[in-house]
Parts: sequence; structure tokens; C-alpha cells
Amino acid sequence: MTATVSASGLHLRYGGTRALDDVSLRLTPGVTGLLGPNGAGKTTLLRVLATAVPADRGSFTVLGHDPGSSHGRQEVRRSLGYLPQSPGLQPDFSAFEFVDYVAILKELSDRTARHREVRRVLEEVDLGDVRAKRIKKLSGGMRQRVALAAALVGDPGFLVLDEPTVGLDPEQRMRFRELIAQAGEGRTVLLSTHQTEDVAMLCHRVLVMARGRILFEGTPAELTARAAGRVWSSTERAPGAKAGWRTGTGSFRNVGDPPAGADLLEPTLEDGYLLTLDDVDAEVATA
Amino acid sequence: MSLATKTPAESAAVPEDDQRRAWAAVFALARFEARDLLRYIPVLVTLVLYVGYAAWTLFHQHDGMDAFPALQDADRATQAGPLLLGIALFVCVNRCTLRSRKRGTDRQFDVLVMEPWRRTVAHVLSVTPFAAVTALVVLGEFTRQALRAGAVGHGSPAELAVGPLYVLLCGAFGVLLARLVPSTFAAPVGVIGLFVLSVFVSAGTNDAEWTRWLPPIVGEDGGNTVLPSDLIGRPAAWHALYLTGLILLLALCAVLASGGRTLSLKAGAAGALALTLAGAVGQAGGASPELTAAREQASVAPHRDQSCVRRGGSTYCAFPEWSVRAGDWAGVVDRVQSLAGGTAARQPLLVRQRVEARYGLGGDSAIDPLTTPYQVTVGTRWGGNRVPEFAVGVAYVLVAGDESKGGELCDGRVVTAMWLALGGDPHPMADLANVRLDDSVTGSAYVLAPTSGLSMTAGQTDVVRELLHRPRGEVTASVRRHWTELTAPGVSTARVARVLGTEVPKGAKDCAEE
Repeated sequence: MTATVSASGLHLRYGGTRALDDVSLRLTPGVTGLLGPNGAGKTTLLRVLATAVPADRGSFTVLGHDPGSSHGRQEVRRSLGYLPQSPGLQPDFSAFEFVDYVAILKELSDRTARHREVRRVLEEVDLGDVRAKRIKKLSGGMRQRVALAAALVGDPGFLVLDEPTVGLDPEQRMRFRELIAQAGEGRTVLLSTHQTEDVAMLCHRVLVMARGRILFEGTPAELTARAAGRVWSSTERAPGAKAGWRTGTGSFRNVGDPPAGADLLEPTLEDGYLLTLDDVDAEVATA
Repeated sequence: MSLATKTPAESAAVPEDDQRRAWAAVFALARFEARDLLRYIPVLVTLVLYVGYAAWTLFHQHDGMDAFPALQDADRATQAGPLLLGIALFVCVNRCTLRSRKRGTDRQFDVLVMEPWRRTVAHVLSVTPFAAVTALVVLGEFTRQALRAGAVGHGSPAELAVGPLYVLLCGAFGVLLARLVPSTFAAPVGVIGLFVLSVFVSAGTNDAEWTRWLPPIVGEDGGNTVLPSDLIGRPAAWHALYLTGLILLLALCAVLASGGRTLSLKAGAAGALALTLAGAVGQAGGASPELTAAREQASVAPHRDQSCVRRGGSTYCAFPEWSVRAGDWAGVVDRVQSLAGGTAARQPLLVRQRVEARYGLGGDSAIDPLTTPYQVTVGTRWGGNRVPEFAVGVAYVLVAGDESKGGELCDGRVVTAMWLALGGDPHPMADLANVRLDDSVTGSAYVLAPTSGLSMTAGQTDVVRELLHRPRGEVTASVRRHWTELTAPGVSTARVARVLGTEVPKGAKDCAEE
């Protein structure tokens, strides 16, 4: 599949910290998950791709537009929907007004068409009935959907979502997953998250990032496969396990290098993710 | 694929379509922000008060002096109206500009298509509808005055422009302050700071001309004088230029502070600074020697500037802008003379319009009485109390001979003069109170006239009051019959009362007897 977003050799330093270290990637239409621990550089990568901060080195294109020039940057921004971590909202605005405001900043200047588009995205995120309500009177989940509607307004081809499900209750998270899946139809979505379940349920591709580098790029199944034969059950916590915890049945689920004859279990995406991170930690320790 | 680094190679060529779309969005945002400003209570309240009061005055029929406006004053009177609206806009535009920062939406908005500097432009433009409303109100107020039957003079477009320019200035300053000091407390503190600063600067420079004209609205304190347009001497056009330059300068500085640092913006800011300085220098010049000479001439030799018309037997000389008022003056003169007897009933008078212009609009000095017989002074204001005051002046001259004999007219002739002034008046008792300094109709009081007034004792007041209550024809006949005796210098009030058949006031003392 042709890449809609591609980056090559992105570097960015904050003081002495390498926030991005030679990051290259290729995104295709659909939802791509971006997993990584805190401080891995996920948010920095998203901000670079969203043209919020420029990289020190490297290049990228979004839907064929190169942000290296002023015009190109504007074109990238025209194609972009960005939902940052803990997005700011204007509590005194109604949901409609806020999304309308964002639509104006996206240069949708024709009033009739803009209002039609605002109503459309609010319907899309299931806020049509409360669009006239002040944001300060909406629940946390509704506010997050207002922010998503603001990101979706103007029908951007590239949607950047930075941990959009943080702080939502399970029901809201499920609702949000539906919306993200819907948003991923026909557009490129990059979803940064700590929730491996989100990735497993939503994403056709996944990137794992740590220490400013991309450690893995592939499908969720490929990431899960990395843990094949490396998850087992035992009555005690296995001493050689990278991680192990008592499950609801009373037995221990261990991840790592199993002893011979171990009772192997079916791996999950989370197991593959944990082992990928652990492998890089081991590399660093060896180095 | 090229680099997206911290020093990107900017493309100079921006498609025209992009520019058009970008500016259309700026105007859309300005409209949005203007609507949002209306949600702020200070803006809403001050706007409603301003427009409401203006509408009320527009449709309310004014009496008295309001019915005879001088348009060279009416233009300036429009400037104070939007004062509070401007302050409210300053504070609230500042808050709107800081809204994004305060609510943490900058992170989202900074990656949207519209650049921060264009958003700043939109904030500045959001005040434009309020300036347009102000302009409409100013135009309405001035037009209403100009359409009054008694209006005289000429307004200045530059004076009329000050109100709307002030509103724009407040908006631009609010936006700039937000871009320089990102705190919502800065604007209220700024309002107080500017007020304190203006007081200190004014006191420190002894209210010098150059500092007097630095504030956007420059009133003229203490003066009650209406001057001919040519003698006003306010550098209104320079001031409008100064305000225009200042608005552009503040707005462009705000845009520059928001990252819009293109060469054309920098050049625009430099041009705006030049405009501001040119306006500031131009308005600081003070009265020119030509203006001073013209004011001197209008004050001491007004006949050189005036044209005269004859009406009835009398002549009326007025500054050109007041020539239409001769009919009103003649009406009063005819009314007063119609009650007089002897030769005074047919005595030709010369009514001369006079003004003390030497101290400009701030001057409030009295006009010296004329010494030439049968010449009467009339001022530049008309309507309300000025009408009976003029009648007193006319009666005074008919009785005493000339305006300068002020000290002599404290005997019984005061009664005759006051009867002449008020006897033919449609509301004599009301005007008796109006012309007296303390608005009373009993006791002693000082009576106002265009030059020197006259003093009425309590006894004289009693006699005049009784005369005003009696049938006019009866009193007029008595006055005419005894005219020579009633206007003889030194005639006592008691004698006048007896002659006119009123009760002789007890213990009445005239000036000569005191």
C-alpha cells in the first residue's frame, strides 16, 4: 500500500536529551498505533509530524506535501487533524462554537458550508444533541469528543491522536474506540497510546518507540508473534521471567525466556510489546 | 523530500488563492471574535448604555439652549460618549486575545492553518464593528444637531472621527498588551496606570500643549464660550492623523509580536510611527500668530468680521455663522420695545454680537459692556436663559441709554427695565427666576445679562412680581404714560410702585438710599 505519511531520519534534541533519534516511518491509510513508555518520544514525534515543532534534521511528507516550505507547511496543516494529549477547550463556548472556531482557524471561511461541516462532525462524534451546550457543562467524555470533533472538522486526510482515551471510563473508552475506528476509514490515523488493548482492537499497523527510536514497525499480529513461545504459566513466579504476575486463577503468567518444559500460553500484544521494550533495554545494558 | 528543520527554506511564492482564503478566514475570525466580545458584560453594558443614551437624545425634543446648537461644539461633544465603551473593549479584547493561552488551546491552534499573526489581525479587526457602531452613533448625534432649526456653524469631520478612532485605538492597545504581557491582570492595571501616568505628565509639564494632545480625547475644560469655527484653533486634523498613526502602530506592533515579521509589516510599522510622530508634532503647535490675531480682532473689533442686517428700525450685526439668528434677536427687541414709552419705543438699536475669544475655548471671562449709546451686546449662545438675559440687556439699554451705566441702574428704573424685559414674555414668572442668579422670584438677587447684569432688591422684586401678575395692557399703558418719570435717574422704587399702582414695598431701599 502506498505510504500517505513518510518520515526519514528525523532527529530532535531537547538540551542533552535525544527526543527523536533517526526516526523513519511509513504510514498508510487506516489506524496505526504508536506504543511506548513515558518519555519514549511519542508526543515529540506526533508534534513534529503535526508541524508544531520542527525537527533538527530529517524530512517528512504528509499526503505528498513537504512542510519544508511555508506553503508546504500550510498544506500539511490543511490536511491535518491534531488531538493533543489533554487538549485545551474554551469552557464558555458551546460545542458548536468551539468546533466552528477551529474550523475558521482551518480556513473554512464560507459560513454556510462551515456550519454544515461543524454540524456533520458533531453528529459524527454523537454530540449533535448537545451542540448548543456550553463545554463547561459537558462530561469529561463529551469534552474529549468535542476535541475529537475539532480535530475531524474539515475532513483532514491525516489524523494525529495523542493518548485520546486517557482518563475515560471503560464505557467512554469503548465509545471512543468506535469513533477512532470510524475516523480511520479512508484516512491515515496515527494513534499514540499506552493502551495495548486499543492497538489490538483498532490498529492495522503498530509502531513501538523507546528512547526516541522506533523499535518495531509491523502489524499487531507480528508484534504479538514476537512473544510466541515466551509466555508461560507456573505456580510460582519464575525467577528468569522478565515480568510475572499472579492471575485471577491463582497461577502466575510469566513473560521472558521460559524454562524447558514450561506450560506455554497464548501470547498477547502486550506480551510482544513488553518483550520488545525489554530487548532494547538489554541491548542498552550490553552496550 | 526536503528537510523540515528549524531553518526551513521558506518559499516566497504563495499562491494567490491561498492568500485570498487566508484573508477570508481572518475576516471570519474577526466576526466570530466581535460576536464573542458581546458576551462580555462590560462591553455589552457600555454598548447598550452608549447606544441607548444616544437614541434617547436623538428622539427626545430638546428645549432651551439645546435647540440652538453650534455645530463647531456639537462635533466635539460626540467624543466623550464612547469613553467607557473604549475602556471595556480594551479590557475585553485583551482577555479574548489571551483566551487561547489561558485555556491551553495554543497547542492545537498553533498547528492549524491560520498563523498566530493572522489571529492577532483578527483580534484587532474584531473591534471594527464597535467602531462602526460608534461612527453611526456619532453621525446620528451630529446629524440630529445639524437638523435642528436653530443650528449654526460648521462641524469638523476630524473631530467627528475621534470617537470611532478612540474605539479602534482601545482595541489595538488591548491586543498589543496581550501579546506583550500575557496576563489578564495587565489590562485593568494598564487602565489605572495610564490614568496615573496622564495625571503625572500633565502636572509635570504644566499641561503643555504637546502633552495636552497626547490622550485620544481632548476636552476643553472650564470654558463656556462658543467661538466662531475659524477661531476654535483645535488641531483636530492633526489629532486624527496622530490617532490613525497610533492605531496602525499598535496594531502592527501586535502583529510583529505574534511572529508576523515580514519586511512589509516592518515597513508598515515604521510608516505608522512616522504618521504618529507627524500627527503629534502637528498637534503640539498651539495657537498660531494668525489665529491669535484673529481671536484678538474678533474680541476687540468684531465689526471687521461681521455683517449687519436691518430689521425694523434696528441693526443686527453678527459673525457670519450667526447671521441667520438676527430674526430671533429682532423678535426679542421688538417685544421689549413694544412695552416701552417715549422715544425708547422707536429708538433704533444696534445689536452687536460679541465674544471673548482671546483665551480660546478655555476662556470664560465676561464681556465688557459697550459704552456707545443704544448698542446692545448679544452673545454666541442662544436659547434657554440666554433669551431673557438678552431681553434684560435690551431693556437696560432702553432705560439707561447704554450698557456701561451698570452702577446707575440700581434705583427704581430696575423695575421698569425688568418689566420691559419680561412683560411681553410668554412665561414671565419662569423667566424672572431664570434670569436671576439664584433662580428665585423673591428677595434680592443678581440679574444676568450678556454683559454686566443688574441687582434687584427685595422690594424691586416684589413690585416686578406684582406687575407681572397684572394684565399686561394695563401695566403697559401706565408705563408709557409715565415713561419720563419712570426712567429718570434716581427715581425711587417706592415712587415707581406708586406710579404703576402697585403696593409700595415696606422699607424699600434703593442703591442710592443704602
